[in-house]
Amino acid sequence: MTRRELAQEKLTQEKLAPHELLRVAGLSVQFRTEDGVVHAVRDVSYSLGRGEVLGVVGESGSGKSVSSMAILGLLPGTARITGSISFNGAELVGAPDTALRKIRGNDIAMIFQDPMTSLNPVYTVGWQLAEAYRVHHRVSRRAAWSQAVQALELVGIPQPDRRARQYPHEFSGGMRQRVVIAMAVINDPMLIIADEPTTALDVTVQAQILDTLRRIRDETRAGIMLITHDLGVVAGMADRVQVMYGGTIVETGGVDEVFELPRMPYTVGLMGSIPHAGQVGRRLTPIPGTPPSLVHLPQGCTFSPRCPLAAPQCVVAEPALVEGGSAGHAVRCVRWAELAGMSDPQRLFLRSETGAGTSA
Amino acid sequence: MTSDIAASSAAAATARTDALLQVNDLVKTFPIRGGIIPRTVGKVHAVSGVSFDLAAGQTLGLVGESGCGKSTTGRAILQLHRPTSGSVVFDGHELTTMRTRALRRVRRDMQIVFQDPYASLNPRWPVNDIVAEPYLIHGIGSDRRDVQHRVDTLLALVGLNPEHRNRYPHEFSGGQRQRIGIARALALEPKLIVLDEPVSALDVSVQAGVVNLLEELQERLGLAYLFVAHDLSVIRHICDRVAVMYLGKIVEIGDRDGIYTRPTHPYTQSLLSAVPLPDPKAERQRRRIVLTGDVPSPVSPPSGCRFRTRCWKAQDICATEEPALLAHGPGTRSACHFPDTS
Repeated sequence: MTRRELAQEKLTQEKLAPHELLRVAGLSVQFRTEDGVVHAVRDVSYSLGRGEVLGVVGESGSGKSVSSMAILGLLPGTARITGSISFNGAELVGAPDTALRKIRGNDIAMIFQDPMTSLNPVYTVGWQLAEAYRVHHRVSRRAAWSQAVQALELVGIPQPDRRARQYPHEFSGGMRQRVVIAMAVINDPMLIIADEPTTALDVTVQAQILDTLRRIRDETRAGIMLITHDLGVVAGMADRVQVMYGGTIVETGGVDEVFELPRMPYTVGLMGSIPHAGQVGRRLTPIPGTPPSLVHLPQGCTFSPRCPLAAPQCVVAEPALVEGGSAGHAVRCVRWAELAGMSDPQRLFLRSETGAGTSA
Repeated sequence: MTSDIAASSAAAATARTDALLQVNDLVKTFPIRGGIIPRTVGKVHAVSGVSFDLAAGQTLGLVGESGCGKSTTGRAILQLHRPTSGSVVFDGHELTTMRTRALRRVRRDMQIVFQDPYASLNPRWPVNDIVAEPYLIHGIGSDRRDVQHRVDTLLALVGLNPEHRNRYPHEFSGGQRQRIGIARALALEPKLIVLDEPVSALDVSVQAGVVNLLEELQERLGLAYLFVAHDLSVIRHICDRVAVMYLGKIVEIGDRDGIYTRPTHPYTQSLLSAVPLPDPKAERQRRRIVLTGDVPSPVSPPSGCRFRTRCWKAQDICATEEPALLAHGPGTRSACHFPDTS
């Protein structure tokens, strides 16, 4: 085999690696508004494999939802999308709507935050589930109905036969979210995008839903993209985690590495903001300031105005996402090595603004 | 059975006469109207016999899932919802029988901060007017200058720039807006603030700042807080004592460490075990108690122990006899026939 052939083979192997499902490269999304151009997503690249759970963490306005909507082509016409989203070998950016419609709800399913608005109140739950199946399969109504009942059973709804004939308002919040999950898995998707699936739910119900998602992942081997602001949910569910800030990825890596050895000051700050058992009696360490406006992004590193480690070079240019420490662990910070050398990096945020007495 | 609880908590209340707030057997039901000729067809039992007390300068956390009556309890204490029965003694005054005018005077000493910093501030008013309104209502402050000075001091106290006093609520971020709500609550130098989910609508990094602010204000001004929230980690951080509610009743109450390290009620145990921790290794090893089913409807709550329909320990007695709130360990009391005392 010649060198060229070898390289070619390596390339095809990489492309068709059996586990790789989704590859996003250089994705950017912009919206033109009266106030100026909103840079909602900026140069985001990542990949996701089968059976893998990728946690996407960020605060409101970090771009985490918009980047996932772009995958499904669900953004409004005013959005300008550049870059590449390759799903199972097919390019989704710029794909015609007819092609996207075949993928949407079939190969890629989505679970939204609010189960009440994701379901139609005037049709029975079973009817809606059967419709979702019939859109992608040429089967009889009766066969689709039995698929619907099976899907309800899969997500752990008791008496699925009877429940399928009921309307969404007859279900409790947790049960409704199960119905939404059933609708997502009815076509046996390869990829499930779950956007804040448990945010509207109580903790005990959240535990049930996360259990259901775990079981679905194990049984269907679907890849799951779990978008949330709750670091606890990510810690318990995800294999890899991606922290977003100001529309771009600022840290990514295996969930153990990122939680144990965060290399980006923002991630450190985020973790210090959560009250936990060991912190009782101590002050929390909030991040000073507020997240950046996506219309007027700060010069250089978008986190620099709030960062206790910010140096003059941080405002010159936005740092690149570079490998920091271990394989697969990447970080967008020029001073990550200094952070890595600290024994208790959360102390960095201690001196900053705590509220009373100081002025904003 | 209910009278037993009332008796035992009444005894507890008299034992602690230094309490700023004493709540005894508080009940609040809401009528359900229906039919062609509207009439009451049922009742929502939002709060069913809640008793506790709160000392000056202390924080009591009311925690529970949605619909457990924690917010209604907070509002019934302030008489924003008039309680159906029971008593609320605040600073020596019985509030439930008080007339509106007398109540207004007492309300100076008890304030509330709401969950939604977007809905709780008038969008047409500049911040200055929002924070100054309590002074105008209660006729405090000698002249405009004096009120202005007070408003500026308050804004600085909650970490806002007094120069922004002429801005409108929409010009502030969520965290800053919640600070405005806190400044308004502090205006009349109250003794008690009911905090109804004050940080749940905020992003994590901003939430921590508001939690710190609340703690600092308490230390400086000696405030008592009734902290209503569903977030168990925030409650643990800020509260001295914690009451866990389920379907309108307190199932376990006691000092923070007792509740969090030695919970005796099965509901408290499952609630604590359901909270996801931001630590992947601990998450993988942790044994979770996943409850089956949902919270029953408060229109027709289960007989006996209200948690029995989801409890793995439930036996016949749980359906027939309501458990009393009794001490099963040091510092805490719980209402269960089969408490975990190991």
